[in-house]
Amino acid sequence: MSEFEPKIVAFFCNWCTFTAADLAGTSRLSYPPNIKIIRVMCSGMVDPKFVLKAFLNGADGVLVGGCWPGDCHYINGNFKARRRVALLTEILKQYGIDEERFWLRWIAASEGNMLKEVADLMTAKLRELGPSPLQQMGQMVG
Amino acid sequence: MSERIGFFICHCGINIAYRVRVKEVAEYAATFPGVVVAKDYLFMCSDPGQDLIEKDVKNFDLTRVVVASCSPRMHEKTFRAATQRAGLNPYKAFHMVSVREHSSWVTENEDQATAKAITIVRAGLMRVTNQSALTPSKFSVNPNTLILGGGIAGMQAALDIASSGNKAYLVERQPTVGGHMLQYDKTFPTLDCAACIGTPKMVAVGQEKNVILMTNSEVESVSGFIGNFKVAVNQRSRYVKSNCTGCSDCAKVCPVDFPNEWDVDTKMRKAIYISFPQAVPVRYVIDKKDRGPCVQTCPAGINIQGFVALIKVGKPAEALKLIMEKMPLPGSLGRICPAPCETECRRKEVDNPLAICQLKRFAADSVDWATLPVPTIEVKPESEKVAIIGAGPAGLSAAYFLALKGYHPTIFEKAPFAGGMLRFGIPDYRLPPAILEQEVNYIKRLGVDIQLGAGIGKDRPVGSLFAEGFKAIYLATGAWKSRKMNIPGEDAEGVMHGIDYLNLLNLKKPVKTGKRVVVVGGGDVAIDAAREALRQGAAEVKMVYRRSRDEMPAVKHEIQSAEDEGIKIDLLVNPIAVLTEDGKLTGLRCIKMALGEPDESGRRRPVPVEGSEFDIPCDMMIPAIGQQVNPAFLEGTTGVELTRWGTVAANALTYQTSVPGIFAGGDMFTGPSIAVEAVAAGQQAAISIEKFLLGEELTENRPVKPKGTDWKPIPKKPFVASRTKMPTLPVADRIGNYKEIETGFTVEQAQTEASRCVDCGGCCECKLCLDQCKAGAIDHDMTDKQETIDVGSIIVATGFDPMNPSKMSQYGYGKYRNVFTNIEFERLSNATGPTSGKLRKRDLKDPMKFTDAPKSVAILHCIGSRDQNHHEYCSRTCCMYALKYAHLLKDKCGHDTEIYNFYIDMRCFGKGYEEFYKKVQAEGVKMIRGKVGLITEDANGILTVKGEDTLSNRLVEIQVEMVILCTAMEARPDASDVMRKFGIGIGSDGFFQEEHPKLAPVSTPTSGVFLAGACQGPKDIPDTVAQAKGAAAECLALSSAGVVEVPPMISSIDRDICVGCQLCIGLCAYTAIEFNQYAGISEVNTAICKGCGSCAGACPSGAAKVRHFTDKQIFAEIDGILLN
Ligand code: FES
Repeated sequence: MSEFEPKIVAFFCNWCTFTAADLAGTSRLSYPPNIKIIRVMCSGMVDPKFVLKAFLNGADGVLVGGCWPGDCHYINGNFKARRRVALLTEILKQYGIDEERFWLRWIAASEGNMLKEVADLMTAKLRELGPSPLQQMGQMVG
Repeated sequence: MSERIGFFICHCGINIAYRVRVKEVAEYAATFPGVVVAKDYLFMCSDPGQDLIEKDVKNFDLTRVVVASCSPRMHEKTFRAATQRAGLNPYKAFHMVSVREHSSWVTENEDQATAKAITIVRAGLMRVTNQSALTPSKFSVNPNTLILGGGIAGMQAALDIASSGNKAYLVERQPTVGGHMLQYDKTFPTLDCAACIGTPKMVAVGQEKNVILMTNSEVESVSGFIGNFKVAVNQRSRYVKSNCTGCSDCAKVCPVDFPNEWDVDTKMRKAIYISFPQAVPVRYVIDKKDRGPCVQTCPAGINIQGFVALIKVGKPAEALKLIMEKMPLPGSLGRICPAPCETECRRKEVDNPLAICQLKRFAADSVDWATLPVPTIEVKPESEKVAIIGAGPAGLSAAYFLALKGYHPTIFEKAPFAGGMLRFGIPDYRLPPAILEQEVNYIKRLGVDIQLGAGIGKDRPVGSLFAEGFKAIYLATGAWKSRKMNIPGEDAEGVMHGIDYLNLLNLKKPVKTGKRVVVVGGGDVAIDAAREALRQGAAEVKMVYRRSRDEMPAVKHEIQSAEDEGIKIDLLVNPIAVLTEDGKLTGLRCIKMALGEPDESGRRRPVPVEGSEFDIPCDMMIPAIGQQVNPAFLEGTTGVELTRWGTVAANALTYQTSVPGIFAGGDMFTGPSIAVEAVAAGQQAAISIEKFLLGEELTENRPVKPKGTDWKPIPKKPFVASRTKMPTLPVADRIGNYKEIETGFTVEQAQTEASRCVDCGGCCECKLCLDQCKAGAIDHDMTDKQETIDVGSIIVATGFDPMNPSKMSQYGYGKYRNVFTNIEFERLSNATGPTSGKLRKRDLKDPMKFTDAPKSVAILHCIGSRDQNHHEYCSRTCCMYALKYAHLLKDKCGHDTEIYNFYIDMRCFGKGYEEFYKKVQAEGVKMIRGKVGLITEDANGILTVKGEDTLSNRLVEIQVEMVILCTAMEARPDASDVMRKFGIGIGSDGFFQEEHPKLAPVSTPTSGVFLAGACQGPKDIPDTVAQAKGAAAECLALSSAGVVEVPPMISSIDRDICVGCQLCIGLCAYTAIEFNQYAGISEVNTAICKGCGSCAGACPSGAAKVRHFTDKQIFAEIDGILLN
């Protein structure tokens, strides 16, 4: 177990969660390096293809971060993300991807500590779950 | 063409390099396909750093540039500009990777940090070659600015903008500009008075033609983008027009008082008021809420709050006038109305509801009806005649309202007296006939012709009245037929129905009353009949009612009176047979009942208890279980339809029957009901009849019933008086006569009772102010005004709220009279405050009264600030104003006043602040370093303050006469609403977040929206003004640039791929996508699209994309991150 380090792709909206990640940095809150952030403008922009692609390419987990309901910079993009994530979670299950590998979290710009917490928790969880069952397949396809 | 990539990594001094081995990252990048140069540098964002990039682009002929440094939110713009200067399209050629915020600062281990940096750099290198050229669109900038908040920050910004010649729309929620600063007295450290330096600013914003002042207003929504915002503003109705001169005549007559918000409730104001004498605009405002629950409940819609307020201030005649706007029988109904309004009265939340009905009676009894002036009526031509059948409350009311409108109503009444059920159904000791008569006479004086003994029926059918020249007919004959009990023996001699019994007595006809009387029923008629029987000489009167006492429909105090007079009430008892001997009544067989499940009326249905039958011997029985309509008067009339309950069928809104021109109302429409319902029906019928006569649509433009529950809060003041008891005749004096039992309130009683009103509706609409206002500026019907304003920039300057310390119970605020908050103290010290600037203690009994100067005062710093349990931050102003208070106390109350300052640390950081501190210390103010743990109060109001002195490490306990709590500045409770409307962020302290804590102190994430003042964080006046000027400068810079570039990262839909499913159209929050019917595809309106990508995320065909966030680009990043 100790050898396995999960790879996590994180899609963070520019206005809240990406800013929270900046704040975690400015506040020098350290968290596991497993999380690699891709900046998107809004969580509502996260196309299911992005998530599938990440899993197929060997990600052990995918994290989508957006503003709290009601706080989306684009009025309600995060609601769309929420609906989409719910659906996608179901589809992913069909392919053997546990719902614990695909997280959606609301993290506001001021919640640097929350970002750290989520990063800690998710990494720990994935360490527990072990490598994604799709990795092999992904390599075949990719 | 093969790509030539340049890679540049920044050390950021040591911020990156201390954890990420930058050289190693650069070396890695150098090996990456396409990278021709990879360098590291100490400060990439510096001029030489940018220079380095520009030169390398040229020297190495680079096509792409990747910079690994801080967050793109910080320096993306900087490097994009550098790339552009080097001749490349920055969107295509440049990408930035955050190795500081996302790696060096958040990773503990150097190897891990370096590895992570390499991974994300790789993702960046892979992404950059997939980027395409984009050009930002340019839009012209509207030069005007909207400023939200009219405190010192907003006023300053508005003036600065106005002085440039551009327009500043200043939107303030309160009725005046000024904000907290103008509530203060002196300002530290210079001690110039806030009013002296603040009011000129207020006057200036009021007069400057380029400042468009919108007070009492709120922003509803914001749309658009930098340079081109559309802001919807709701100007709440002020009910006073702009020609108000501020003379205050209106306030002098206004009968209702409220605590003045501006004085933080230390002083009262009227419902029509200005916050303080220097308010800008100097234009009164009426504090009007939804009409009170009483007004909403009254079927006739009487302005109850209004007439009660008028009685309170000793104006009963005016009160009566107000009542009679809606109801012509105030003295009669003031005696017998069951007052549904009182059930809703919110005073019951304190103790008991107001005695509304009895106050109405008081108003009616306080005038001489014979000489009561008749209003001037615009009389219509003789031919405008209306026939009204029945002179009961409905008929009288319809006639009254029609006469007021100038019509000529004639009432046909078959009885020898007018009044209907009021006259015949109610005993004289409750409603003396003289009272009813004076009201009927008054109605006659308005021009109503009442023909008594003139029955309508077989000989003179309803329909024939049209032929007699009446243009409309109102049927209001009531419900006079007593309902049968349907039990055996009901027709025996000795049984007389309640309504017939009362009727005969009122007609002074001979009636034989028995010795032992049983009344069946629990309503008003039953009670009245029982009490009449007693007066008619019955030796014993008993009532039987089949439900419990709570369910008795009779007026409660009438039930009480009946019992007082000796009437027995048998509850849960139902008669099942009348016992007779030779056709004569001998008794009543009853059965006991028990309460079962609730029935459709919500009351629990009584069910008989088997085997519990018993007999009550009696020689008279009076059933009074309800009445029905007797349709006899309709004989000879065709076309008027009845319902299956035998009532007349009519439209519930217009009261028109099935025959046009014939209207119906009162009991004959509703079935037996209360008099005030009948009055209301008459009122509505009058409206319909007028519309009918004018040929208007009956259903249109009818007055709407007030509704809503936005009421004034129940005042906090201590309540002394509880409901005034109506004086009554002693029981001994009642028997055997018909003297009125309730004798009416005295003037004092009425005024005390009226003053119990909690004034739910704010303004009571007594309209006294209307007559006072010489300018004619008052308009009670004014409505809110919505306006959409186009501006190029916005400044949010919504300020702060002082924290309410009542939740910190150890300080006793709100409980101990002489524990003040800082703002209360400011108002005390201010010349326009409750004590005209004198520093006084509160009266221990009446919080609105002030007594003498305190001899000793404790000033407690940091209340709610620097406190884990409340706000961690320092409020930055408390130390200084606390010193100011100490000085003011010494100055105004004498130098022997003992003053203790409990502080944590003294923070006197500004210009002249430390000097001020020294000066105040020299005045002999005691400084104790430590927090106060507890305050207690003794019987004389002396406060004991217990705390610690951390310098000498001991506990201190001092006695003082006054405590001032220096409360925290906190974010406004509705900050998150403002945040959403304007697209700005909120920090963990609750205040609005600036874009960068040091370098962008007035900007927000939404370009074109700026911050100023304490809404961004606690600050003092100089800092606030400085920030306001900064925000104004940002707006002016934008205006003078004239054009803005809008980021080109918006959506596009590929025409060749789109299948026209229109899924995206429903998802777009900005309605930026339209369907092109001819091409069968969806299209993006680029001027509206904000680039959120909701469409791209959902597009099933992949036609919708957000530029700069395309599948290819994101996929490349994913590839880069996950490559092994
Ligand atoms: S902008 Fe953060 S979720 Fe939409």
